[in-house]
Amino acid sequence: MLVGSLASCGSALPAYKTAVADNKVSVPETLFAASDFQLIQPKGMYYNIGLKKEKDGTYTALLLRCTHADNQLTPTGNGFKCTLHGSAFDNEGHVTQGPAERPLKKYPTQVESNQIIIHIS
Amino acid sequence: MQAKIFTLSLAFLFITGALSAQTKSLVTAEDSLNSGLSKSATTIGGYGNAFYQRNNFQGTSKLNLERLVLFTGHKFNDKISVFSELEVEDAKVTGGESGGEIAIEQAYLKFNLNPNQYIVAGLFLPRIGILNEDHLPNTFNGNERNYVETFVLPSTWREIGIGLYGNINGAPLNYSVGLVNGLSSGMFTHGTGIRDGRFEGRNASSNSLAVTASLQYYMGDFKAQVSGYYGGTANVSKRKADSLGLSSGIFGTPVAIGEGDIQYSHGGFSMRALGTIVSIPDAAAINRAYANNTPKTEYGAYLELAYNLLYKAGTRNDKQFVVFVRDEKFDINASIPSNGITDETLNQNHIVAGFTYLPIRNVAVKADVRLIHTGVQNPELIINPNPVALPYQQNNNLVNLGVAFSF
Repeated sequence: MLVGSLASCGSALPAYKTAVADNKVSVPETLFAASDFQLIQPKGMYYNIGLKKEKDGTYTALLLRCTHADNQLTPTGNGFKCTLHGSAFDNEGHVTQGPAERPLKKYPTQVESNQIIIHIS
Repeated sequence: MQAKIFTLSLAFLFITGALSAQTKSLVTAEDSLNSGLSKSATTIGGYGNAFYQRNNFQGTSKLNLERLVLFTGHKFNDKISVFSELEVEDAKVTGGESGGEIAIEQAYLKFNLNPNQYIVAGLFLPRIGILNEDHLPNTFNGNERNYVETFVLPSTWREIGIGLYGNINGAPLNYSVGLVNGLSSGMFTHGTGIRDGRFEGRNASSNSLAVTASLQYYMGDFKAQVSGYYGGTANVSKRKADSLGLSSGIFGTPVAIGEGDIQYSHGGFSMRALGTIVSIPDAAAINRAYANNTPKTEYGAYLELAYNLLYKAGTRNDKQFVVFVRDEKFDINASIPSNGITDETLNQNHIVAGFTYLPIRNVAVKADVRLIHTGVQNPELIINPNPVALPYQQNNNLVNLGVAFSF
C-alpha cells in the first residue's frame, strides 16, 4: 500500500544495494522506519527483491522476476509490471494480468539483531 | 555516408561493449552465489484469437482464426536470453493465393546489464503506443485491435536494431531508446498511412535508420507514457534518391511520430487514452517519386472506459466480466501536400462497445459492436468504378463475437 502512496505522490522508491553472502542478503531494519517497502538490489544479481514489512512485523521478500519468461519487473506503485508480455502482479506477488500464471517467488526471511535476513534459495 | 558509418560503428561498439561486460561478469564471485538463480530455462507460450464478424452494410459474415502466435524463449543464464514469436495470420498461407501471413514477430537477444537495464538486439517491437508491446488479445477489449494503433501507429511494428531499456533506480520511471532500420516511402500505399512502409525484418534496407525513445511514469493507479520516432524513409542509394528528388542520408525524407497515453485502473474501473500524430514533411517529394498519395499529417486518438462487473473490493476473483466503450477518432489524410488528393473516407470515427468475459485471466470471450462513420468519398479517386459495387456509405457497423487466449 505504501508503495502506492509513495509512487502516487511522485516520491522515489527506496532502493538499497547490498552484497550476497552465503546465499543470504542482510538488510537493516532501520530502513523501514519511514517506509513499509524497500527495493533490494543484491550485488551481482540481475533481479531486484521487493521487501515489504507486514502489519504483524514480519517481512515478505518477493523476487521481481516474471514467472512467465523471467523478465525483470518494474515496481508500478500498486504492484509489479512486466513490459515484455504485459504480465502484472500485485504487492503480494499474485498475478493480476497474464500471460503469467504463477505468483512471484517468495524468499524466506527472518530477523536477527535488527537485521532482516533474506535467504536466497 | 560518414555519419552512417559512425552510427553503425557506435551501435556495434554498444553491443560488443555489453557483451564484453557480460563475459567479464561471468566469473565474479557473485555469479557463484547466484547459482540457484542462474538456471537456463526454455519457455514456450503463445496467444491466439478467432472471431465471427458481421458487416451489416455489406451483408456479409466471416469467421476467421485471426492470429495464432507461438512464443519461444530460452534463458541461457540470468544475463543472456533469446526470445522469438512466430505468427500465422488468417490460419493458412497457400502458394499462389493472396491472404494469410506467416511472420516472425520478434526474434532478439536480450542482455541484462543489471536489475534495471537491458539491451535487446535483433527483431524487436519498439515501445511506441500501448498495443505494440501489450497486444495479447485477452488483455484488450474488443475482438479487433483498436484502429488508431493499427493504421496510424502500425502495430505490431517490429524492425531490426538495438534497444536499451531501463528504469531509473529508485524512481517509478521507465525509459527506452532504440536504433532500428527506417521505413520505405516507396512502399507507402494510399489509405494505409505508413503501415506498408515497414520492413518487419525482411531484407530491410538500412540506407535509412530511425531512432525511437519513450518515457513511462507510474503514479499509483496511473501510468503515463510519451514516445517518439524519427527516421528516414528514402532507403535507397544517394544516386537513386537524387534521381527521385528525395533527400537521402540516414534520416532523409523523414517520418516523425509523437505519442502520449495514460492508463488508469482502480477497483473495477479502468481507463486508457492515447493520442498520436505522424508527420511526413516531404510528402510532396514522395508523391512525385512514387505517386502513392502520401499525406503530410496523420493523427489518431481514442478513449476507452471499462468496468469489471464481477469486481468485489478486498477479494481476489480471477473471473472478470468487463463492459466497455471506446471512442476512436483518426484521420490518415489529415493534411496533404499540394500534389496529393484528399480522401475523406480516411477521416473516421468509430464507437466500439461490448463486453469481455474472462473465466480465467488467460482466456477471454468477447462480444462487441463497432459503429463506423467516415467522411465522404472523393470521386477523383474512383478511377475504374465497379458497376456492381454498392454506393459508398459513410456509416456502417460490424458485430464481432470471438474467443482469445494467451499462455
